[in-house]
Amino acid sequence: MSYSEKFQDYIAHPRNAGELSDANAVAEETNPVCGDRLRLGLRVRDGFIEAARFLAYGCPPTLVCGSALAEMLEGMTIEDANRLTKDKIVAAVGGLPARKHHAAALAIETLHAAINKAK
Amino acid sequence: MRRIYLDHSATTPVDKRVVHAMLPYLTEKFGNASSVHQMGQEARAGLDRARRQIAAFIGAQANEIVFTSGGTEANNLAIRGIAEAAQSHGRHLIISAFEHPSVRASADVLEKRGWEVTILPVYEEGLVRIADVRTALRPDTILISVMMANNEIGTVQPIAEIGSLVRSERESGHRNIWFHTDAVQAAGRLPLDVSVLGCDLLSLSAHKIYAPKGTGALFVRKGVRLALQQHGGHQERERRGGTEAVANIVAFGAAAELAQKEMAERNENVRRLRDRFEEQLSARIEDFAFNGDRNSRLPHLSNISFRFIEGEGLLIHLDMQGVAVSTGSACSSGTIEPSPVIRALGRDDELARGSIRFSFGKDNTDEDVDYAVEMTVRAVQGLRQLSPLSQPSAVVV
Repeated sequence: MSYSEKFQDYIAHPRNAGELSDANAVAEETNPVCGDRLRLGLRVRDGFIEAARFLAYGCPPTLVCGSALAEMLEGMTIEDANRLTKDKIVAAVGGLPARKHHAAALAIETLHAAINKAK
Repeated sequence: MRRIYLDHSATTPVDKRVVHAMLPYLTEKFGNASSVHQMGQEARAGLDRARRQIAAFIGAQANEIVFTSGGTEANNLAIRGIAEAAQSHGRHLIISAFEHPSVRASADVLEKRGWEVTILPVYEEGLVRIADVRTALRPDTILISVMMANNEIGTVQPIAEIGSLVRSERESGHRNIWFHTDAVQAAGRLPLDVSVLGCDLLSLSAHKIYAPKGTGALFVRKGVRLALQQHGGHQERERRGGTEAVANIVAFGAAAELAQKEMAERNENVRRLRDRFEEQLSARIEDFAFNGDRNSRLPHLSNISFRFIEGEGLLIHLDMQGVAVSTGSACSSGTIEPSPVIRALGRDDELARGSIRFSFGKDNTDEDVDYAVEMTVRAVQGLRQLSPLSQPSAVVV
């Protein structure tokens, strides 16, 4: 298996998984080509993300990127969250093969969709 | 970490007795089987014995066996070899919807060059129907190729029935028609007798029956003409050029003999393990489907689609716990390719993406099964907790 230890750790111990009962910004995005889905729930107050949870269906990188994204979002300002990039997600999971970068792209798309709903 | 191999349809470990049989042919009996000197002749003797063993394994004559580099080459040689040799008689082929890629791709190549290919449906149960074969037949049909058992779901096809259909076709005047079966997955698990099956060509692979990778064979019934696919060698009675991999072929022969001798015992063991696995799993999780007709499949294999989750995730979870299995679907460059085999059964995308093949082998134990069940249940439950498809209601972890 060619995945990093960090990646394997996310697989074995997913962080920030589940639904957020008091979320005020929820988005679910689907990769139209492969069918992978990511749902992201945020509780945003005064420009800060207080809590973030994810659910994912798809290949392992989609699950891992969703988890890493939700984990890093907690405590972040919306402004900083808006500046997150696909590359930052890839780095957070310990790297991904190029052919799996679409998983990080889906995470960023879902984040932007959720932030739009928070406005 | 405990390591449990449940991917015997992908490949098998080499049996120690087989290693023992092949070793002398790597060291002191290393000669080229085409050489005239004694050392060449020693290698030739090993090759000839293996040819007799493979012939006995499938009820053929030794001179009807052509050794190849594996199942893929055997399938290519059969499909393209017949099509090219028989093109003056017709350019129509019939294959099933879930043939191995080496058959499917060979047919695709021919199609691009002007041949016509009819694809037989396999329905929800994963079985070719003889009525469809009959309907697909045309006066210009020169080849039917249907696998004996499917590689992903293990369903066993009506090969002997197709064989007798081809025979009666010939008797009624359609003389230039041949029947090929890819028996790579069936070998060692089902009795093989080319007379009973009525096939003209049959493909085998060594590494599926506890011999090394890199060797296979094609049975070519006496009198059947093939167009050469490898030029520049007189080996294999001018049917396949290239120096024979004598040590591997000796191993293949030894493995075939053992497979034949121990088939009943091995099958009884893997069937019991497979049934134990399926029973335990059924008792502990819901929302899954067995793929393929459960009454007509190889004894060692269980193919299961789990709802709400994707096969690759489950495979990696199991791998991290030391359990090796396989999935037919693959995700790359943002495109998911659900298993074409599971798709051919008419399953929806979610089931086609969530399929996993567990294939047991002669050395697996009850403990292996129990551990694999436990790890599968945990992984499925864990992945379902993360899945938006299985979580319409709010659950905070």
